[in-house]
Amino acid sequence: MLNYRSKSTPVQNVTISILRFVFFVSTLVFLVLPGQAKAIEYGGFGGRPANPRSDNPRTESIFIYTLEPGEEKLDAVTVINNTPERKTLLVYAADSTPSTGGAFACKQFSEDKQSVGAWITVSKSEVTLDSGTNETVPFTIRVPQSAGVGEHNGCILIQEKKVKNENQSGVSLSVRTGLRVAITIPGDIVRKLELAGFTLSDKPEGYLLHPQVRNIGNVSIDADVQVVTKSVLGFTVMEHGGEFPILKGEVSDWNFELPKPFWGGWYRSSFAVEYDENPEASVGIQSGKNLTLLKGDTIWFFSFPTIKGLILELLILVLAAYLYRNYRKFKKHKYAVKNDWIDYRVKSGDTINSLADQFNISWKSLARANKVKAPYALEVGIVIKVPPAE
Amino acid sequence: MIESILGLVRQNKTISVLVFGFLTFFSVTYVLASATSNFTQTINAGTLSVDIVDASYVTVGSPSVAMSAVTFSFACQAATGTFGTASQVIYVKNPDAADNGWTVALAASDPTDVWDSAGTDFDFNDSTGSGCTDGADADSLGGQMTVDPSVGTLAVGQCASCVTTNVTKGSSAPFVQATTDSITILTGAAGSNDIGDWKLTGVSISQTIPAEQAVASDYDINLTLSVTAS
Repeated sequence: MLNYRSKSTPVQNVTISILRFVFFVSTLVFLVLPGQAKAIEYGGFGGRPANPRSDNPRTESIFIYTLEPGEEKLDAVTVINNTPERKTLLVYAADSTPSTGGAFACKQFSEDKQSVGAWITVSKSEVTLDSGTNETVPFTIRVPQSAGVGEHNGCILIQEKKVKNENQSGVSLSVRTGLRVAITIPGDIVRKLELAGFTLSDKPEGYLLHPQVRNIGNVSIDADVQVVTKSVLGFTVMEHGGEFPILKGEVSDWNFELPKPFWGGWYRSSFAVEYDENPEASVGIQSGKNLTLLKGDTIWFFSFPTIKGLILELLILVLAAYLYRNYRKFKKHKYAVKNDWIDYRVKSGDTINSLADQFNISWKSLARANKVKAPYALEVGIVIKVPPAE
Repeated sequence: MIESILGLVRQNKTISVLVFGFLTFFSVTYVLASATSNFTQTINAGTLSVDIVDASYVTVGSPSVAMSAVTFSFACQAATGTFGTASQVIYVKNPDAADNGWTVALAASDPTDVWDSAGTDFDFNDSTGSGCTDGADADSLGGQMTVDPSVGTLAVGQCASCVTTNVTKGSSAPFVQATTDSITILTGAAGSNDIGDWKLTGVSISQTIPAEQAVASDYDINLTLSVTAS
């Protein structure tokens, strides 16, 4: 073996080079593949309820309580830092405020707290977390004796503590994550929605469907909003919607974008809302009874096809016209063969070509009319149909 | 027999490479197939979050929105800007943290805030005179900002299997103090497609600037972008 190595030929040198190359590539592939699996993904910071209840899965996302006036409740929020950096995060409570479109939003750190924000006392105003860590921050809710029946909303927010960049002009942005705190004071609970409108407007590349729902009760309601667009033939073109919380006293609206239908034509969009009207229902919990369905207006509209759709439609139209023309021609020919053509007994020496020439017709038409198959031989004495002499 | 195979391998480079590859491949396969250990894996809870990130999903340290420069004018005029650009993307992530919907909203860090400069300030939430004159709010400044998310471009982020079906863009709205302090940028519905990450660019911002507003290059205002599980 040693002798063999010491006398390596040029071919063997090349082999060793190739082996080295293969080893290098194999090692590279081996190192790169696990690296892809560990690709860095954005983390972010925020929080989650620390003590979700098993009877209400919604408490995994937000804080939900039913509390009597004067009652006190202890709970906690898990503040999470999944960013790659150590962060100092403000943890604070705030009142809720309706955002445009009736969406749920929270007031700012700087604003006075007058409702649920004032009922909550967070045990720590800020936490400093290393990357990939979390901390549970307890808080206490004290419902005032004067709290009225129905739902009251607030927020617990996690916001990065930032020092303002004094040299920056324009809009300076901060980001924060909020968790809704929904507190229901028991009593005469009214859960009622009404449809507030449904419009359709043009957009550059389609349409905007804009349904509106008003909550006229005293608690928020999770409503299943559905907008279905169908063609005039009844085919569903697109379904929009989902389950949205509609806050008490607010009108919620949504912008559902409908791309311009490919084929064009007449379409209809229908709007419906389904929700649990029964007072036994609450945030995240259904009563188990029948749901209430509100059906809104149906909007009919005409849409021009897209450019591609129009070209395709024209091609289909041309093809259909061509096929129809040929069909008419075929039917006319078939009618003529049946009613106008005369019998002819094949004589010795007749061929399909000679008869075609004789009766001034193509041999293919003659063969087709008499169902003569290849090799198109005509038996002497048989009777075939031929065009009448002009 | 073995000697003859080894001899062939020694003399033929193609066979050498094939044999090497064969041994490498099957030795790796052997190691994987023979493993009988119990694997354990912990996936930490994610959190609903919103951020301004660059094209590589790295947080932008000091995100900002630059408004178009305007020239001193004796008439009320408008400056425009774009919130969410290729290098400063509005990024929302819901890693199964908000199962029943969420809202991204933009608001001033203080509703009584103004466009601040070393000289004369102007307002961002005064609707009087189409946003051109001072109105009933506590300050004595005119000016109004309008945010239009509906013209923005919504796309899925890093999640390959996610869709934008359950996410809707908000309508165009102006800030009006004590009436419209928060403008909805995005709304996520509860549904089968509510887990994911999304990025939004091209939100239009327009700011009316009162007539004869003093020349300055240091106007600034603080806004807060919030995502709230609802």
